[in-house]
Amino acid sequence: MSLLTIDQMQINFRNKPIVENVNITARKGEWFTLIGESGSGKSITASAIGGLLPKEMWIAAGHIQFDNKDMTHLSKKEFQNLRGKEISYVFQDYQSSFTPFIKIGKQMDEMIQAHSSLTKNERKEIAFQALEDVQLPAKRVYNSYPFQLSGGQLQRASIAMAIMLNPKLLIADEPTTALDSMTAAHVLEVIANIKEKINCAILFITHDLRLARKYSDTVAVMKKGEIVETGTKTNVIHHPRHPYTKQLLSAAPTLPNKMHEVIT
Amino acid sequence: MFRQMYWTHSRTLLFILFAFFLVILTAPLLAPYDPLQINMNERLLKPSAEHFFGTDYLGRDLFSRILAGGQVTVGTSILVLGIVLLIGVPLGMFSGFVGGRFDRYLMRIIDAFLAFPDFIVAIVLSGILGPGMLNLIFAIVVAKWGSYVRLVRSTVLSEKEKDYILMAVVNGLSTFQIIRKHLLPHVVGNVFVLATLDLGKIILLIASLSYIGLGAQPPTPEWGAMLNESTPYFHTSPYLMFIPGIAIMFTVLVSNLAGDVLRDRFDVKG
Repeated sequence: MSLLTIDQMQINFRNKPIVENVNITARKGEWFTLIGESGSGKSITASAIGGLLPKEMWIAAGHIQFDNKDMTHLSKKEFQNLRGKEISYVFQDYQSSFTPFIKIGKQMDEMIQAHSSLTKNERKEIAFQALEDVQLPAKRVYNSYPFQLSGGQLQRASIAMAIMLNPKLLIADEPTTALDSMTAAHVLEVIANIKEKINCAILFITHDLRLARKYSDTVAVMKKGEIVETGTKTNVIHHPRHPYTKQLLSAAPTLPNKMHEVIT
Repeated sequence: MFRQMYWTHSRTLLFILFAFFLVILTAPLLAPYDPLQINMNERLLKPSAEHFFGTDYLGRDLFSRILAGGQVTVGTSILVLGIVLLIGVPLGMFSGFVGGRFDRYLMRIIDAFLAFPDFIVAIVLSGILGPGMLNLIFAIVVAKWGSYVRLVRSTVLSEKEKDYILMAVVNGLSTFQIIRKHLLPHVVGNVFVLATLDLGKIILLIASLSYIGLGAQPPTPEWGAMLNESTPYFHTSPYLMFIPGIAIMFTVLVSNLAGDVLRDRFDVKG
């Protein structure tokens, strides 16, 4: 049973296609990695799913099906209800995930309130639970302003906010790119734990092969607005068929086998 | 250290400035005489212990009239500012956030209004509508609203592109919620500064229009109108003009100072 199906999608920018022939099928609870170089259309594809395309871009052809809903014909209101509750996002730039002058707890509270009719205490409980799930000191973070946290903490807080309402799909758009590699590893681990816990599908966007290697179930390789190869992790990474995938893999700096095991 | 001194200073200064406006607005309670009480036996008296500033051509106590006039002039200015803010802030936020055709048309209309100096627009309008305080208020509101819409709109435009606003959209918050909770706080500081800087100009505008007879009508004690009434007696009793003039000057100076201090505090550019 597939949760997200993107079928022959084409996105235009001022009448010129910038993303074409995108086909993605993700099952419930699957970790789907979209990999490709900068400018290959990964993020555009991701924002198309949540109806977040900038004004000058639109879906010119194809369908997006999410949880048996046709996402190409949703109203603004329907999108608004879906976002944050069933589909949520984590972005690269953690600094701006939170409005700078509002406490993190208040922002989490606001979001739960927008999607439910729970009481104040219930909302607080959900927020605390989510913060604990991402291994943050819940009480302190809840009462902090965004600038009082470190980068890794902020990114984890924004993950907490994203998974708070048990979404069916978490779209993580290069969530670790702005972090150092130790913190990045921790953030990834947190995402993986959460996926186990709430059994959501993850659309993971990255340009980093090492990240694709570790947790993915399925990997799709994107180049110049098209998906050139899709398959299970083992197939794509160990037996690439498309020349671009081969090129990508050979471009990744490798270490002697022993050290490789230590790192990954 | 200099910085610290400046900060404590600006805080004291702000306190003094706000106290000043508070005193002006409550001053009529301190007036020793009824500012409207005509007493033809005591016309044009020189300043004395009984009448601090003397009396005017109808024998009214000038000190009481200055105090009452402060309430009229400053009170009206604050009222005008309030109305302008009530129109300008929501309109500017809406225009900036929603954009599109509404924004384009509104901006062209405002361009047209801003093409004329405030003073000209106010004079023409109160000239057409006829003299009177209500018409004066309307005329100044019409002359002023545009610049506030502009300011609010430009603040919103620069803030709404920030990623945390996108994030609020991504989290499924409604447009209204985003505007109210995530954008409004940015706007408040800027608007507050512009409003305080404008207060002086509006006080001057009201006084000038009243001086040429378009604003407050006799016997209302308004500083500009008082200047006007006293012109014929300038040679014999110059203090009748000096005192309201100084009152106007001092109030405008204070509100400009307040605006400058606030501008430094909120760090508003331009």
